[in-house]
Amino acid sequence: MEGQHSVSSLEEPKGDEPAAGETSCSVPRTGPNKFLSKHRMVAAITLLQNQINFIQEELDQLDTFGESSIVCEELLSKVESIPDPLLPSTQGPVNASWDRWFKGNQNSRRRWI
Amino acid sequence: MSVSELKERHVAAIETVNSLREQLKQKRRLLLDTDIAGYAREQGRNPVSFGPTDLVCCRILQGHTGKVYSLDWTPEKNKIVSASQDGRLIVWNALTSQKTHAIKLPCAWVMTCAFSPAGQSVACGGLDSVCSIFNLNSPTDKDGNLTVSRMLSGHKGYVSSCQYVPDEDTHLITSSGDKTCVLWDITTGLRTSVFGGEFQSGHTADVLSVSISRSNSRMFVSGSCDSTARLWDTRVASRAVRTFHGHEGDVNTVKFFPDGNRFGTGSDDGTCRLFDVRTGHQLQVFYQQHGDDEIPHVTSIAFSISGRLLFVGYSNGDCYVWDTLLAEVVLNLGSMHNSSHEARISCLGLSADGSALCTGSWDTNLKIWAFGGHRKII
Repeated sequence: MEGQHSVSSLEEPKGDEPAAGETSCSVPRTGPNKFLSKHRMVAAITLLQNQINFIQEELDQLDTFGESSIVCEELLSKVESIPDPLLPSTQGPVNASWDRWFKGNQNSRRRWI
Repeated sequence: MSVSELKERHVAAIETVNSLREQLKQKRRLLLDTDIAGYAREQGRNPVSFGPTDLVCCRILQGHTGKVYSLDWTPEKNKIVSASQDGRLIVWNALTSQKTHAIKLPCAWVMTCAFSPAGQSVACGGLDSVCSIFNLNSPTDKDGNLTVSRMLSGHKGYVSSCQYVPDEDTHLITSSGDKTCVLWDITTGLRTSVFGGEFQSGHTADVLSVSISRSNSRMFVSGSCDSTARLWDTRVASRAVRTFHGHEGDVNTVKFFPDGNRFGTGSDDGTCRLFDVRTGHQLQVFYQQHGDDEIPHVTSIAFSISGRLLFVGYSNGDCYVWDTLLAEVVLNLGSMHNSSHEARISCLGLSADGSALCTGSWDTNLKIWAFGGHRKII
């Protein structure tokens, strides 16, 4: 992509998220003392055009993705199928080494520090 | 084309971007028919219930003389590396609480550290804008210090976070205040790829955190001061695969969900969020009023090995344990009598087998937490 020139002169001072979102380009300022090269403007426009293409792509993809409930269903069954040493109630199998943090005290598995 | 014509095109392009983004927001909203908590409740799930002596602090790792900023476990079970304001990395055997290495850093302003997959090296980075690698098996110098075995230079801003590519001792990814992430080849010390940056479509502000997927090590996410998280494919540096909007403040921390198909984020806006990688859906927001007027920032997050628990460190010293599925706080490690840290928890991490959580704090200590209660096997 043509990007040999800095677009920093098109940046507004830091503040709220810029209107264009993905880039920090704003309306280029011109005036008697600020000469902006055409190359920089073309680079900024190219960046914005890329943004437009990406967002359009994502909009098109969304038609194929389906609702969040489908993902939630998958997530729920996945999470509940994995043995987790930190849960009071969990799928097996248990690995004996989970309790290595409490070895050394024969009387109790519980430690308070 | 004249300057004024270009200006017009520029304004028109911005308007198009804004309008499309609004369309995207609306379309996504329509597809969010439920969040995880809504779905789980509908399916009759109840929150995880901890007894008062279930999750206990079973080790305190003392030795740093300054705030702990970062920690990382080794994939082999019991070793941890930590980085501190005192300008040192310490390598611990978490099981015995012994220090195996204390590394005095050439630059004291360290922000992040990571263990290599094989456990032979550690990496760190910070305000020097460099990621330094130390080989733990190297001989020490006359003062007993380990010398840097490789310096990864090239960032134009501080190194905020680093992580080795899973199962690859020779590659790691850094995030930086220069708005980029970089994939490094440690053998050569060179940048393999730069993600984002001035001429690319990447983050538009400092990048604060990275997390690499364990199930697909070509995918990683980054979190930034531009309030977004971005998903990257290491084969495509020119643009992010997807940008995740939603947060209203700096995204301080990102962490892949154990299954690699989701990731969590934590932000200055006080919320954590869970996003789906494939669809981009925001599946859940985790937010609870802490009782104060000011909303505490999320500093660090970690998932338990199944993903059922989400551990979150906040800037006010709280460390909430969230039930990920029900989006409820089930425990606060920050208020456990005699066990809590005495200051902000800045970093969190789970051991490789998920049996222990390590918390690092501005009180200079690290603590290990494990389940010491009666475990019911389903």
